[in-house]
Amino acid sequence: MVTRDRGVHDIGGTQGWGKVPHSPDEPPFHYEWERRVLGLMFQVLRHTAKRPGEMRYALERLAPDDYFDHGGYYGRWEAVMELLLEEYELLAPGELDVLLGAKEGTGPAHRASPVVPKDPQKLPPDRITPLPNHRTVRREVVDPPHFGVGDRVVALGANQEGHTRLPEYVTGVVGTVVKIHPAEVLPDSTAHDLGERPQHVICVGYRAEDLWGNKSEAGVVINVDLYENYLTAVEEAV
Amino acid sequence: MSSGTDHHHETDPRSPEVRTEALEDLLVEKGIIDRTRVEALIERFENDLGPMVGARLVAKAWLSPEFRRRLLDDADEVLAAEDIEGAEIEHIEIKANEPGVHNVVVCTLCSCYPWALLGLPPNWYKSPEYRARVVREPRKVLEEMGLSLDTDAEVRVWDSSSETRFLVLPEQPEGTDHLDLEELASLVSRDSMIGVAKAQKP
Repeated sequence: MVTRDRGVHDIGGTQGWGKVPHSPDEPPFHYEWERRVLGLMFQVLRHTAKRPGEMRYALERLAPDDYFDHGGYYGRWEAVMELLLEEYELLAPGELDVLLGAKEGTGPAHRASPVVPKDPQKLPPDRITPLPNHRTVRREVVDPPHFGVGDRVVALGANQEGHTRLPEYVTGVVGTVVKIHPAEVLPDSTAHDLGERPQHVICVGYRAEDLWGNKSEAGVVINVDLYENYLTAVEEAV
Repeated sequence: MSSGTDHHHETDPRSPEVRTEALEDLLVEKGIIDRTRVEALIERFENDLGPMVGARLVAKAWLSPEFRRRLLDDADEVLAAEDIEGAEIEHIEIKANEPGVHNVVVCTLCSCYPWALLGLPPNWYKSPEYRARVVREPRKVLEEMGLSLDTDAEVRVWDSSSETRFLVLPEQPEGTDHLDLEELASLVSRDSMIGVAKAQKP
């Protein structure tokens, strides 16, 4: 496993991994329990994490062993169901361990990190937007985006811990605005129950040599969708 | 993975298999979930969703330049007009491969994927190896997966970090102009719409 000073999930560009376990005709499930996890998850979510980003933030708080080595993707989902059910007090701490005759603390919820409280003052201000007439993360924001296609921008990094959609590998690297999407609610805020604070979503293109140095592969651009509040115009940043 | 295909029943209380089974029973007993709805949900995901939805869009785009233009311009509008809806496709962008440009999709922070167009994601797409490496060395990763790109072709990687989901429109294989929609759609694999393969030749 790669050691790093960032979230367990934030692995883009980390090194030391082997070949992708690829098979062109891979079925969606390898074991019956993985099917059950999929079916359970959508019912568990109806009773627990409903806000945008909330379930992902719970996944990100799992211990590395549970995130990577507890049966892969669906194992991670099983672990996060236990965590959410305990946090929403639908299961008592260690209840499943007791039922299984195991020592309390055997399960993944015990090892997970708690929710970090965020300072709302460090988030962009909330703004009033028309309530959408269907379930969507998109919001109609009156203010135009701060950036235009072709602008040079940099994400300087999150100013506090907790959920974010800013990957570490683009932090501090200059990129170019490729496209501007309509505004979406900000997961950095909604995951922490601090309101919607919608932001335009800016697709930023990064050249591989800017991310990985001059030994990187030639002719590669990595495009990442970033919430507008992450970004600073390069002139301002210098 | 801790549980194998061997026949003994897993009993380790740490194993995801044992915990999943116990969790389901416990949640049913507590009345939090309904087992028949769990079944129904699994079946819906397994049977009603699949890469054929995406493959038909690709085939239509190959057949009609007008449809292709609309799809690349505003896929959400096209999907609404075609009555395609479902999980994880609130906002879709289609990225077209063309001579000199190859697109490939990843989600480095999670494993986001356009479920309603491609079905449930394969494990390799969700693997840390793919998520970590395809943004750093996409040519090498694609090569390992059996796709060699021209060295002068630009590689565009799309990291699905917001709620936008991406689908790759592969190039139409040569010599397939006479094929109909269903024949063309059968050439479009899941992998080709993620961008780790080309569309197959008939």
